[in-house]
Amino acid sequence: MKLSEHYFRYLPWIPPGLFLGLWFLVSRTGWVPAYLLPDPAHIARAAYTYIFGQPDSAPYAGRFLPDAAASLLRVALGFSFAVALAIPLGVLSGRIAACHRLMSTSINALRSVPGISWLPLALVWFGIGMRTTVFLVALAAFFPIYLNTAAGARQVSPLLYQSGAMMGVGRLRGVFAILLPAAMPQMISGLRLGLGISWAYLVLGELTGVPNGLGAVIMDARMLGRIDIIIVGILLIAAMGRISDLCLNTVMRFCFKSARRMT
Amino acid sequence: MMESFKLIRSPAIVEKRCPTLTARSLSKIFHVDGGFSTVLDNVHFDIESGELVCVLGPSGCGKTTLLKLIAGFMSPSGGSIEIGQRRVTRPGPDRCVIFQEDALFPWLTVAENIAFGAKTILPGDRLSKEVQRYLEMVGLSAFKDYLPKEISGGMKQRVALARVLILNPRVLLMDEPFGALDAQTREEMQNLLLSLWAELSHTIVFVTHDLGEAVTLADRILLMERNPGRIRDEIAVPLPRPRKQESDAFHCFYRDLKNRLK
Repeated sequence: MKLSEHYFRYLPWIPPGLFLGLWFLVSRTGWVPAYLLPDPAHIARAAYTYIFGQPDSAPYAGRFLPDAAASLLRVALGFSFAVALAIPLGVLSGRIAACHRLMSTSINALRSVPGISWLPLALVWFGIGMRTTVFLVALAAFFPIYLNTAAGARQVSPLLYQSGAMMGVGRLRGVFAILLPAAMPQMISGLRLGLGISWAYLVLGELTGVPNGLGAVIMDARMLGRIDIIIVGILLIAAMGRISDLCLNTVMRFCFKSARRMT
Repeated sequence: MMESFKLIRSPAIVEKRCPTLTARSLSKIFHVDGGFSTVLDNVHFDIESGELVCVLGPSGCGKTTLLKLIAGFMSPSGGSIEIGQRRVTRPGPDRCVIFQEDALFPWLTVAENIAFGAKTILPGDRLSKEVQRYLEMVGLSAFKDYLPKEISGGMKQRVALARVLILNPRVLLMDEPFGALDAQTREEMQNLLLSLWAELSHTIVFVTHDLGEAVTLADRILLMERNPGRIRDEIAVPLPRPRKQESDAFHCFYRDLKNRLK
């Protein structure tokens, strides 16, 4: 029992471990040439320079911090806009059948438009840079948050509202005292999906020629043929995405009883 | 119309004088796919303050609909319900429901569930004292920090009782509250309800389809029939309390009633 629990904790590290082993194998044996896939040790050195190097001592040296800060800001802004719009609308459409009927067709139609087709329009509207990226992130994160919040709100048992009503809880207070906590598990899945998609669209927004950001670095490195930096960028985006997901979960659990007790 | 409404709402009258629950020519019609079905038809009754009345009938006779109308969760198609001469138009803490299914808030502990309705009316220090008092009353002091998913069905119904009793409702509406419990727990809960009733003397409307349960609990039984839902008969239960289901008097009464139902 104890032993299996002990091993259980290490399970998440097995796939990346195996992957790393395979990578070593194919690059050290020369099965895949280095210009397509550099050696892991080479990537580690590039990552080290990118993260800790003295700025201007080498190309890309020490650029991680400003890049990550720029990307993080864009994700945070876009995600916040999405949350601020999606949760109230989700609650409305989940609670009031007429609102659901009013919005669901339009929102599902918009949702089926691939995010990348918004890019040209966003470029015309907002130009290259911050605002386009924030727009794309907000747009993409909106749908999962809205849909999950609405579904969660729709599934709240009428018995809970009736219980609230007989104990003197009106409709408005009921939203905060009953609907939101009862819909919390689904809202959290929506938020997590939304945050994940935020990172994806961040890169899309940054591919368009902004000077800084993790997506910009990847694009820039492709032009210069620095495949090691592309891989470093991908790995760092993966890490940032995972860490922000953990942070989101922790913050929700810290702030809300219902998040602690129902998920 | 407006004048009389104001008069009725006068708090002195509501608080002291008019404790009865009355239904007058009550009907409820549901519209379904173009047609309609009459679930309740011309229902009349008076319930005295402190009375324990069981509404007994087969499933589909509209007894849950009747309870929802009294609770104010839906409005009647015709007729009216009055509590202390004040017409019922919407839900309120003077009429609390104990549902058949689990209707506790799953993200709140037992104590927090009990405090839910009371916390807007009672100041903090009184609140925790009252919660403690009602926890003891339903015998759940040791479980106050448990979540609903961690306690049994019988315990959940104890919490459901405590969270409405703390609001001191005028009428307690119970919708087959013990129907989903095993026989032994059901008997325990019936005894708990009777002892709480003896202590607090609320007016109780108790819906059930179980004849034995009705005879055990009720001062009076409203017997319902279906298609359309009507009150067929009113039967006073003259048996002395506490009632023993094994006693001869109980058996006789139960058997007579059962024959009448056929």
